[in-house]
Amino acid sequence: MGEIRIQAVCGFGCGSSLLLRIKIEEVLKENNLSATVFCGDLGTCLSQQCDAIFISEELSERIMNRAKVPVIPIRNFMNKKELTEKTLNFMKDFTK
Amino acid sequence: MNMAIKEYLRMDNKYPISKENLAVKVTAADWREAVRAAGHLLEAAGSATREYTEAMVSAVEELGPYMVIMPKFALAHAAPSKAVIRDDASLITLRDPVCFGSENDPVYVILSICCTDRDSHRESMKRIARMIMQEGAIDRLASAETAEEVLAVLGDDQGS
Repeated sequence: MGEIRIQAVCGFGCGSSLLLRIKIEEVLKENNLSATVFCGDLGTCLSQQCDAIFISEELSERIMNRAKVPVIPIRNFMNKKELTEKTLNFMKDFTK
Repeated sequence: MNMAIKEYLRMDNKYPISKENLAVKVTAADWREAVRAAGHLLEAAGSATREYTEAMVSAVEELGPYMVIMPKFALAHAAPSKAVIRDDASLITLRDPVCFGSENDPVYVILSICCTDRDSHRESMKRIARMIMQEGAIDRLASAETAEEVLAVLGDDQGS
């Protein structure tokens, strides 16, 4: 089994998704976890192979019903606590 | 300041955003004016065109205010395109905050970025991310009276 792939999504695949990706990578590193995190945009994210989509809460509704992988809405990108909790919960559930 | 020095300063890694790309206490009647003000700095730097500025405004209109990613702070941007000449970032603070219709309103600080492609700009973005994530950084930016004060906050990522 390959590495877990997490897609960080925003409107355009650069900008807020880049920040989200950086934060997720930080959380993973601090907790000694490993996953590939990459950026995606709203238009193409559903066709990108991944194990989860992290996306801002505001945009999450647009893909929630169509996604084949868990969609994890983030309310505040910069809230370390929220990101840590959601990232760790996902990693835990995934490797169960 | 001649072009050679300007280019050198741009490559100087001391600050993730160059001084010419900063404006403090900008007057803007609403979020559109504010986003345009940030975009105009990118235009003046020769990093993006008017088309890109307008694309940033359209982005909010089409996708909603998701780029107000934390309280008081918005990250204005649009898709990489021909309207972007090179990777760059600008930052403005507002005299009076504006509302985008987000839970994180009102906004006092707008960081505007333009990317030539999806994966570029990573190192600068990492520095910017570290800086804005620090406790109180946004408040310090919002209350800065001069560009020098803003630079002091931006330069604060050095230690982390």
